[in-house]
Amino acid sequence: MKSGADIVYLDYAASTPVDPRVIEVMTPLFGFGGDFANPSSGHIAGRRSQQHIARAAEQLAALLGCNERELVWTSGATESDNLAIAGAARYRADRGRHLVTMPTEHKAVSDVFNALEKQGFEVSWLYPAEDGVLDPAELEAAIRPDTQLVSIMHVNNETGVIQDIEALGAVCRKRDVLFHVDAAQSVGKLPLDLASLPVDLLSTTAHKVYGPKGIGALYVADRAGCHVEPLIHGGGQQGGRRPGTLAVPLIAGFGAAAGIAMSEMQDNHAHLRSLNDRLWRGIRDLEGIVRNGGEGSTFPGILNVSIADVEGESLLLALEPLCVATGSACNSTSRAPSPVLRALGRSDLLAQSAIRFSFGRPTTVAEVDFAVSRYREAVTRLRDIAPGLVA
Amino acid sequence: MTSDPYSERVRALFAAPDHAGDLEKPDLRVQINEQDVRVALAADIDRDIIVRLRFRAWGCPHLLAAAEAFCRAFEGRPVSALQAFGAGEIMQTLPVPREKLGRILVLEDAARSLGQSARKGPDAGKDTD
Repeated sequence: MKSGADIVYLDYAASTPVDPRVIEVMTPLFGFGGDFANPSSGHIAGRRSQQHIARAAEQLAALLGCNERELVWTSGATESDNLAIAGAARYRADRGRHLVTMPTEHKAVSDVFNALEKQGFEVSWLYPAEDGVLDPAELEAAIRPDTQLVSIMHVNNETGVIQDIEALGAVCRKRDVLFHVDAAQSVGKLPLDLASLPVDLLSTTAHKVYGPKGIGALYVADRAGCHVEPLIHGGGQQGGRRPGTLAVPLIAGFGAAAGIAMSEMQDNHAHLRSLNDRLWRGIRDLEGIVRNGGEGSTFPGILNVSIADVEGESLLLALEPLCVATGSACNSTSRAPSPVLRALGRSDLLAQSAIRFSFGRPTTVAEVDFAVSRYREAVTRLRDIAPGLVA
Repeated sequence: MTSDPYSERVRALFAAPDHAGDLEKPDLRVQINEQDVRVALAADIDRDIIVRLRFRAWGCPHLLAAAEAFCRAFEGRPVSALQAFGAGEIMQTLPVPREKLGRILVLEDAARSLGQSARKGPDAGKDTD
């Protein structure tokens, strides 16, 4: 084991530690004597800060396969999602007020659609097949003449299910509908080439890819009709799309993290695949265990399992010091069954027992083996304590 | 920061549920099944004193801890004391969050049902579904 003296961390889908190489880039940008100045200032110090922003934009643009001008810095994926969905819906509201998404989206997306519904927009919620994947034909059937925006996430944060954003985007492009992708879980982990993908808006964040918390980005394709109305107003930075003084150290850290992710993506993917397979092999023989999300169409950094006749909250406590998630991290205080797992057809009882293991670059085989033994012990112990269903 | 939802006492009881399990031929046994909670209690009685008490439970850590605390508290006491057992005290002492009162009330129902079955005689232990 390795994560820390008293924990084993397998919750990398919730957040990753900052890579030491990223910290090295960020550290000189905070204090006096470093490039701390406001990048909007016209003097020498301001221009030096601006160079760090430009460099980070180049690095992130290279990772995404887009132009630097198509990037808007935000505070993270939640803000990017809000800006993309609410900003685009409002910009195109005079053309139509119908929007399309899925109930399996992160709350940073679904709650924006819930808010827009209250503001007079109509939302169609599309359900996936049992493997979590949305059939492009389902999307095509849902699009109407007044549809303006479709939002589908790339990699699901709970199950790791990968959507075919190329096929879904092609449907949107054919029908002249904007296509937004929440890629918080995939940027830096799966190859993305926005120059060729039919994606108009894409949200990402640094802290899922070994960058700092508090910084994200929204890709806004440079094409006619693709525009977002700002959510906040102020100094006019970033073309007015997201005003406010840019956080130079965080942006530089995001850029550095993007550069590292790009150069190490292939090796990391193989590492995650082997850890995922090892964990699943270690627990798959337990009676009543099911994998949430099809094996073939999931990102290997996430393994989500449910198990019959085990109570989820007790399971989570029994697994300590293993740090894993019951649902999405942002939702872990709520004990309501995950809507993502319900959409996959899981019963309330199975959904509440779900545990999400997520792996990262630092994860070791020893940590995975510890997780296997801890999970097996916890399930056995809780089942031993439980009375039979029949009194 | 999310605060720890479990007190040290809840953690300790959950980690060492010494009274979890069965008795070989219990004098009394009850089980209550609700949608998200199942509680079974078994007791050996000697001259109106509870000499051994065991539980089985399916539910959240607070319920499991409450069941263990209940067993520790009632071994050695008269059967009649079971009728006085109320969820309120255990809610306060562990403590258990208010939104989980319903689960602790299932334990209270099971305890009182155990007491009632004792009054009807040792063979009157009943299972409730």
